[in-house]
Amino acid sequence: MKYFVGIDIGSTAIKVALVDENEELVGHKISASGSMFYKYAKQSLNELLTELKIDEKDVVYTVATGYGRKLFKEADENISEITANAMGAVAAAKGECNIKTIINIGGQDSKAISLDDEGTVVNFAMNDRCAAGTGKFLDVVAMNLELEVDELGDYHFKSEGAPLAINSTCAVFAESEIIGLLGNDNSVEDIVAGVHYSIAKRIIKLVKRVGIKEGIYFDGGPALNEGLVYAIENELSKEIFIPEFPQITTAYGAAILAHESYGYEN
Amino acid sequence: MTKRVREHKIETPKEKQNRHKAMEAIALLEKIKHDFKEPPKAMDYFYTLYENVHCKRQSLHPEKVKVGTMCIQVPSEIIHALDAVPLRLCNGFYTDDEIGSDLLPAKSCPLVKATVGQFVSGNFSDKPDLVVSPTTCDQKAKSGAIIEEMGYKIFDMEFPRTKESAESREYWRRSVRKFTKELSTDLNKKLTKKNLKESIKKVGYAQHLYHKLTTLRKNESSPILGLDMFLVTNAFFFDDLDNWVKATSELLKECESRVEDELNAATKKSPRIVYTGSPPIFPNLKIPLLIEDSDAIIVADETCSSNRMFNDMVSVDEWFVNDMVDSVADRYLKGCTCPIFTKNNDRIRRIIDLVKEYKADGVVYQAFAGCQVYEMEQRSVLQAMEKEGIPIIYLESDYSPSHLGQLTTRIEAFIESLKNRRRKKQ
Repeated sequence: MKYFVGIDIGSTAIKVALVDENEELVGHKISASGSMFYKYAKQSLNELLTELKIDEKDVVYTVATGYGRKLFKEADENISEITANAMGAVAAAKGECNIKTIINIGGQDSKAISLDDEGTVVNFAMNDRCAAGTGKFLDVVAMNLELEVDELGDYHFKSEGAPLAINSTCAVFAESEIIGLLGNDNSVEDIVAGVHYSIAKRIIKLVKRVGIKEGIYFDGGPALNEGLVYAIENELSKEIFIPEFPQITTAYGAAILAHESYGYEN
Repeated sequence: MTKRVREHKIETPKEKQNRHKAMEAIALLEKIKHDFKEPPKAMDYFYTLYENVHCKRQSLHPEKVKVGTMCIQVPSEIIHALDAVPLRLCNGFYTDDEIGSDLLPAKSCPLVKATVGQFVSGNFSDKPDLVVSPTTCDQKAKSGAIIEEMGYKIFDMEFPRTKESAESREYWRRSVRKFTKELSTDLNKKLTKKNLKESIKKVGYAQHLYHKLTTLRKNESSPILGLDMFLVTNAFFFDDLDNWVKATSELLKECESRVEDELNAATKKSPRIVYTGSPPIFPNLKIPLLIEDSDAIIVADETCSSNRMFNDMVSVDEWFVNDMVDSVADRYLKGCTCPIFTKNNDRIRRIIDLVKEYKADGVVYQAFAGCQVYEMEQRSVLQAMEKEGIPIIYLESDYSPSHLGQLTTRIEAFIESLKNRRRKKQ
């Protein structure tokens, strides 16, 4: 059996996805990027292969993507995360939803990608190198509220008052706004809901730049936050599709591309 | 890969609008409550009132017939006398402004767009049973027809564009008489000497309380922020009259003792501002917030969402029904300083009077982009102020929350110049 690997080296996490000749996802691994992208990426891949009991030789083609993709020298090819994200999303939703718009919130950036009927990227927009409305922003919020990031979703639904919007577009100023709100004895739940709606509004501005077409896919770590998902759905007034493993869509797309490239070359 | 299980239903458009409005309301209230020195305790009533109405969608008049008014010019004394509740529908929500934008020209006034927008959404915590639309400014006059198309019952109330002539006075009196007659038929209630006299006194008492309260702001240490005063006066749009009177009496008492204790809502150094122009209506208190955030204090205003509602009282010669109706009509025409009138020297006089009486350092003139009459009158007001040596700044704004940066810089610079001026005088 031949296997194909996609490695997505992001600012916060390294994602490895492995598919077989049928482009079925065989396994995946998520680990922190830390300070040594290359070393950790290599380590992560080896661990995955050991876990799956797959011989390194059976991995016939590797595609790297993401912020640190050029550091992974062993890769047969590297592609931009935009293309990989689009491929992964279309494949992940296949048979369930015809994806036309992708929202991706990563550790340090957020993107909106617009696809045509064939699943080809026609337009995309990214935030302007600012942590507001990204995964990092949620980390900061959770830390200020003394919560774990994965608790934010539950807190959202416990909010009873009006969500308290955060007006600052800067993560640093937003932090002081949150401290201010806490100081005024507001409930953590209302603040969490406000943060989610503020991110949602910012994301929607981004999506509007590429055009909102139904068949909306949301991925990246923050897509695990059901409160944020709900806030974005409400702001869009549309349902969005969340894959089973939102963090690995891009790596999965890279793995599929690895299979395609291999077929093309041989 | 499998799709997640959906646990929460997506909000309906109405729920979404309500959430947006609640978020607008709470964001402003949070700022007013916490960004400044401690407000009078009696302000809690008003903070809670806004939260109940706009965040919790609480109805204040479930049992009563509600008469929506599109402008300050609709005589509330008549509506109260006929046992109905007047609800002023002039709206300050950006959420509604965006909804109304679909129906009106792009360059319309945000207040009119927001008012129409609220009818489009139908999202009222107290829904009006009928709507009175005076033919004051063009945009409001035309909006009446748009609202009528949506199935609301509209009464167009004719209003003259001049106020000096005997003809306009008679025309407006006839218009008010006609309105009284039709409303009385509609509500199946008779206007009597007793109920009209009572309601004139009741509204008059509310005006009296406002006067006493605002007069306290003439002190060197103003006991209350302009922002809080706007909340008090804006609440008069929709609150139960008795409750408003009760809460304002409490506030008055507290402010009187604050004056005795020389408690200043700002600081002694804060420049004192007279605010004029397009009306600040909750939650669009954007400019007042910028002013008071920049260490100035609004001590008086000349706007139809505040001072103009209370300034002139009904003066009755003979307490007979017809005479009283005419006196009510006169109050709304003679005292009005709206820029829709051909000439409007009264407004200039009033601004100058306010500056002198309240020892103000300068005037902020704000016009909504799209509010033509305020935009046009800017010239004559600026000239008159220059002649009097009163510093004035003219600002154009709308309801959008973005682009605050430039406004902030202009306001800060103006306030700094007022501070310098004061320093040089001393």
